[in-house]
Amino acid sequence: MDKAGKVLVVDDFSTMRKVIRNLLKQLGYENIVEAEDGVAALEVLRSQKIDFVISDWNMPNMSGLELLKQVRADGSLSKTPFLMVTAESLKDNVVEAVKAGVDNYIVKPFTADVLSEKIGQIEKKCG
Amino acid sequence: MQQDRIEALIDDLAAGFLMLDGDAIDIPAAGKLLNAMEELIAEADKREMKPLAGVAGELKSLLEDIVLERIGPAEGTERFTRGISEMQAIVHDAAVAEDVDEAGDRDDVQAVVSRERDVSLPGGETAVEEETESESGEPEFVIQDESLMRDFITESLEYIGEIEINILNLEQNPDDKECINAVFRPFHSIKGVSSFLDLTEVRDIAHELETLLDRARNGEISVDSQIIDIVLEGADTLKVMIGSLNEVLEGDRSRPLYPDLTELREKMAGVDSGEEGGYEKESVKKLGKILIDDGVISEDILEETLQKKTDEKRRIGETLIGEGKATPKHVLSALRKQSKQVMETSTVRVDVKKLDDFVDMIGELVITQTMIKQNLVRLDSADRKLMSDLAQLSSITSELQRTSTSLRMVPIRQTFQRMARLVRDLAKDAGKDVVVAMEGEETEIDRNMVEEIYNPLVHMVRNAVDHGLEKGEERASNGKPERGTVKLSAYHKGGSIVIEISDDGRGLNAEGIFRKAVERGLVSETDDMGEQDIFKLIFMPGFSTAEKVTDVSGRGVGMDVVKQAVEKLRGKVEIRSAKGEGSTFAAFFPLTMAIIDGMMVRVGNEKYIIPATAIRRLIRPTREHYTNVAGKGEMLNVMGELLPLLRLYDIFSVEPLYRDPWDALVVVVDAGGRSKCILVDEVLEKGEVVIKSLGGNFGSLKGISGGAILGDGSVGLILDPEGLFELEETTAV
Repeated sequence: MDKAGKVLVVDDFSTMRKVIRNLLKQLGYENIVEAEDGVAALEVLRSQKIDFVISDWNMPNMSGLELLKQVRADGSLSKTPFLMVTAESLKDNVVEAVKAGVDNYIVKPFTADVLSEKIGQIEKKCG
Repeated sequence: MQQDRIEALIDDLAAGFLMLDGDAIDIPAAGKLLNAMEELIAEADKREMKPLAGVAGELKSLLEDIVLERIGPAEGTERFTRGISEMQAIVHDAAVAEDVDEAGDRDDVQAVVSRERDVSLPGGETAVEEETESESGEPEFVIQDESLMRDFITESLEYIGEIEINILNLEQNPDDKECINAVFRPFHSIKGVSSFLDLTEVRDIAHELETLLDRARNGEISVDSQIIDIVLEGADTLKVMIGSLNEVLEGDRSRPLYPDLTELREKMAGVDSGEEGGYEKESVKKLGKILIDDGVISEDILEETLQKKTDEKRRIGETLIGEGKATPKHVLSALRKQSKQVMETSTVRVDVKKLDDFVDMIGELVITQTMIKQNLVRLDSADRKLMSDLAQLSSITSELQRTSTSLRMVPIRQTFQRMARLVRDLAKDAGKDVVVAMEGEETEIDRNMVEEIYNPLVHMVRNAVDHGLEKGEERASNGKPERGTVKLSAYHKGGSIVIEISDDGRGLNAEGIFRKAVERGLVSETDDMGEQDIFKLIFMPGFSTAEKVTDVSGRGVGMDVVKQAVEKLRGKVEIRSAKGEGSTFAAFFPLTMAIIDGMMVRVGNEKYIIPATAIRRLIRPTREHYTNVAGKGEMLNVMGELLPLLRLYDIFSVEPLYRDPWDALVVVVDAGGRSKCILVDEVLEKGEVVIKSLGGNFGSLKGISGGAILGDGSVGLILDPEGLFELEETTAV
């Protein structure tokens, strides 16, 4: 993905959003927007062009899985690359996300390198 | 024909799997494969091709393991390829034999796949653990990102507060997964961030609590009071730990001081799994019961289904639908009845400071507009257009003011839930069984008031639990249910929010209170007092009816503090009580501290505002009412009661219009447990005014709580009756 691309970071914990934002900045991404849950994320996705979504799994109102399903079901958004953030303890749930069409997942805590690697993998598949 | 679909699916799988073959797994491709695999299993089930379904099921697990990186891609590929060939063989055999059942028992192959799966190690996980574990041994505690740490501390504490609230919901709905999740989520989030910040201890404790809740969520353990206690203790522990991090951040210490976690850990370890599926069964019964109540199924059918269910992992609703015993619609409606509807509103978080400034500026706007209007009237402007525009403007500004005030309003729910937790803790300490009921939790109150009303409410709640409610045995012997009830209710009445704390305990003993008051010399034996007046005696300083004073609340200290605290907020307390049936303490608070309902009075050229809640009555005294008792000062006889006279003009050094009480008006004001007569020239009007702080230069002036800009643009001082009384008592010797 182009470093100028717009990344949407979705997490209900604002500190976590900041963590991911910092990591993205280390990787050279400057154009970052945030949303605090799935509902807010959908609003963002529908109001501006987002090139990449990094979403938490467990959030109130709308979980990351539900967000993913909605994104995939929405014609204009369905191709948006989607990276799911999960915790070791919830890793088993990832299978659900994989079935729902997630592009990749990443287990907390992760480093900028791992994030970069995951983004790279998604990029390769999406072309 | 039918076999075609299966063959096609298997071919797809074989082709799709080739795409998995690479240095990294192609997750989207794996997702498609998983879906195809599930379709294949469903197809195989439909045709009762058990061996095929078995192999497909194994392959699906294998695929999941590959996705979760529990198996290396090389090993996975090899086994997956074998599984695919096996499935192709099964389908081929079936086609040849034309008999699905005799398609050959392929258990041997299935066994090969599963055996290998058991041996596989979850490689990724252990690596992560080790890596972070070694970091915990670091001798020096370094905060790498201060601002991130600060955010983490603030947000975590906020989240822990939410845990405390949500856990009470959980206690009432122990099998509601959403309730468990609401408690689970904050721990989960805290764990996530703390792992990034290398806060190993915080991460571990959050993780352990999360695991405990996860077990509850999966139905391994049931949520009982033991679990709730552990989670609350865990939340408290985390609060302390994070608080200590804050100390490090502030430079108060070099490394965080964490509490001893052994006890908490022992408690968590001590939670046994209990009977398997106990949690699930309970929730199941409830759904079944609703369906019976709705007349959808009979009890026999429920029993039958439950028995069948034990060997399946499906939920009761699904089973009933599957067997055609109930329609999805019925089950759905029963499920809805079972789970409480949760209202969701979308919210924006705004800095309180911004909100306060906003409300303040709108207050200014209203004042300025009033001044313009007054000026126009004075200029005798006959411009009708201007006047009508102004009228339009004023309706907009008042609407704006209403809306802006409502922005700062929050439901009282959170306060109530804090109280509920308090009741719970207190009841436990006192060895009483108490249930909390709530009513009107959605009633709104100014956010700035929330903290202010907390202390007086705590006192009243403590009072209700410690003194209001009897012990279980005593209740039982009086024919009451052993479990006592403390009810919290809130509603709006006039410009006030009324918060009532009721208990169904022993009620106030008017006779006992009166006797005590006589003993204390607060009243005289011969005083003829109504029950209401006697109840009010408990608010007098130094009064106590409690035989035993517990460490949390001695009633004597408590109740006069309550009264003072409530009055400080320009509120008042009322008591209703019936012996043996319980007591209700009703506290009236103004809806907001920004607006005050008051009476505007004039003394000379000065205008003052007396808070409406403090005003008892307004009288025009005659010469006969006045007495000047030596040593006691000037007194007025108000309905048979001698009350001291307070001359505002003396205190504020202004030139009054009238000096003699019989020429002037007298406002009888109650504050700090006493009443005084305030002499004023004239009462102007009664209404709401916006309170303005007098500004830093004046600090806190005794006797005055603030200023208000009046309709004509002039300034009035808002009186603080209690401070005023004290001021008068210290100056007039």
